[in-house]
Amino acid sequence: MKRRIRIPRLHLWLSVLAFAASTLAGQARSPQDNEEVRDFKTFTDRVQAYVRMQKNLEASLPPLKPTKDTAQIVEHQHALARKIIEARRDARQGDIFTHEVTERFHKIIRKSFQGPEGRLARRTIQQDTPFKVVVLRVNDVFPDDIPLTTTPPTLLLKLPELPPELTYRFVGRDLALKDTKAGLIVDLIPKAIPRGLP
Amino acid sequence: MQTMRCSAIVSCVALAAMSLSLHAQDLTLPLKPDSVRFAAIGDMGNGGKEQYAVAGQMGAFRGKFPFEFVLMLGDNLIGSKDPIDYQNKFELPYKPLLDAGVKFYAVFGNHDISNERFYKLFNMNGQQYYTYKKSNVRFFALDSNYMDPQQLAWLEKELQNSGSDWKICYFHHPLYSSGAYHGSSVELRQLLEPLFIKYGVQVVFAGHEHIYERVKPQNGIYYFTEGASGELRKGNLRKTDLTAAGYDQDRTFMLVEIAGDELYFQAISRAGLTVDSGVIRRLPKPTGATLWPTVRPKHGGVPGRAVAKAIGVGLTTVPTVME
Repeated sequence: MKRRIRIPRLHLWLSVLAFAASTLAGQARSPQDNEEVRDFKTFTDRVQAYVRMQKNLEASLPPLKPTKDTAQIVEHQHALARKIIEARRDARQGDIFTHEVTERFHKIIRKSFQGPEGRLARRTIQQDTPFKVVVLRVNDVFPDDIPLTTTPPTLLLKLPELPPELTYRFVGRDLALKDTKAGLIVDLIPKAIPRGLP
Repeated sequence: MQTMRCSAIVSCVALAAMSLSLHAQDLTLPLKPDSVRFAAIGDMGNGGKEQYAVAGQMGAFRGKFPFEFVLMLGDNLIGSKDPIDYQNKFELPYKPLLDAGVKFYAVFGNHDISNERFYKLFNMNGQQYYTYKKSNVRFFALDSNYMDPQQLAWLEKELQNSGSDWKICYFHHPLYSSGAYHGSSVELRQLLEPLFIKYGVQVVFAGHEHIYERVKPQNGIYYFTEGASGELRKGNLRKTDLTAAGYDQDRTFMLVEIAGDELYFQAISRAGLTVDSGVIRRLPKPTGATLWPTVRPKHGGVPGRAVAKAIGVGLTTVPTVME
């Protein structure tokens, strides 16, 4: 008898919980959050469009497989870079990091580096900050004669994920979107790290 | 009188050279049958004469300790990366080893570029991070320059799926270091070490600091820094509570032998002197356990004996250290 009563109670509780969860979910998604989702969707769409273009251009080159021929590795990178630069000759800073996306990134980066919680990310950046001043430009070759700054892994957990063809790279206070195969700067956010941080 | 003095000096020099060469030829590794034998080098790729000297010493030691492969802990090509640099900074110094069939397994350092992964002799097979197995040992080669969520997820999956007795991770940035120039990569440690503990990683190799250091076991895990196989920051080791042994007076490389539940290590200088050696004993896996226990690491650097026991690592290092 008791068993028969318990089952409807369980159903009732589950219904209440489901309703509460759906209400909370509705409340959690504020208009600001929706805007953020929209901005990051724009970003990832543009990233994907870039990667599609890069793959199409690379398909016109002899495929690069692991090889002992180092000239082939270097030439492949240069050839791909030339093709991308040609295809994106009108590319401008902000094509992928749009104004809205840049604002979002600024907020995330500032929050990641600020205060006691940002201490470790600041330290990561400080470890390998290049001593010389480097000016980054879209479609330039990423400077590989300076040591790479480790991109703080806790920041990478917060930024939109990238496909393996691209990485986020800090050079000084600037954040570059780097093509890992062509070695090009695809886009950048100058002064992404606010002055004084780290 | 002059002749006698000269003769005495020559004898002294000869004696010293003989004693040095005898010491230089010392091998502390046991050469057990069917053991896994490898070397580890880091921050080597500058093409300088010191890199060539270390490589020569590796070749000499291989005559007594025939290691089959080499872990490259990053900064494989420092400075320019033209085809000639692959020759001068890798192929020529290690030619005798390469000719003998020794394989090199590289990870990226902060001076490397991502297209090095396509260089066949680095055995990265076009990948930014990868894993491979040698007998009962599983190696995880990671990219510590860019520890994104995809790499972390991949690492967790691979660690979880590995049934190997020994799990060894290596990457460029040391999670613990007493080096004065960079120090410990604490942010990276916060993400990686819980995985190492959870899935029973016993030993970690890194480079980046241009010194040799063996850190006291942290949460049961043994950490080595070998970042002086070409580069060197002389006098840069600030011995701290972390330091079990270290050497910052010359270039170094490591030899490692794993036989059953024992890992033997020997750190050797460019001159062939043994600067550190010892053995790490792996405790058998706890029977009946399906998963390693999840333990949050103490980042204060206190060795966790209970954790060590739980993840199957002995704390019975018997180091013979020459400092």
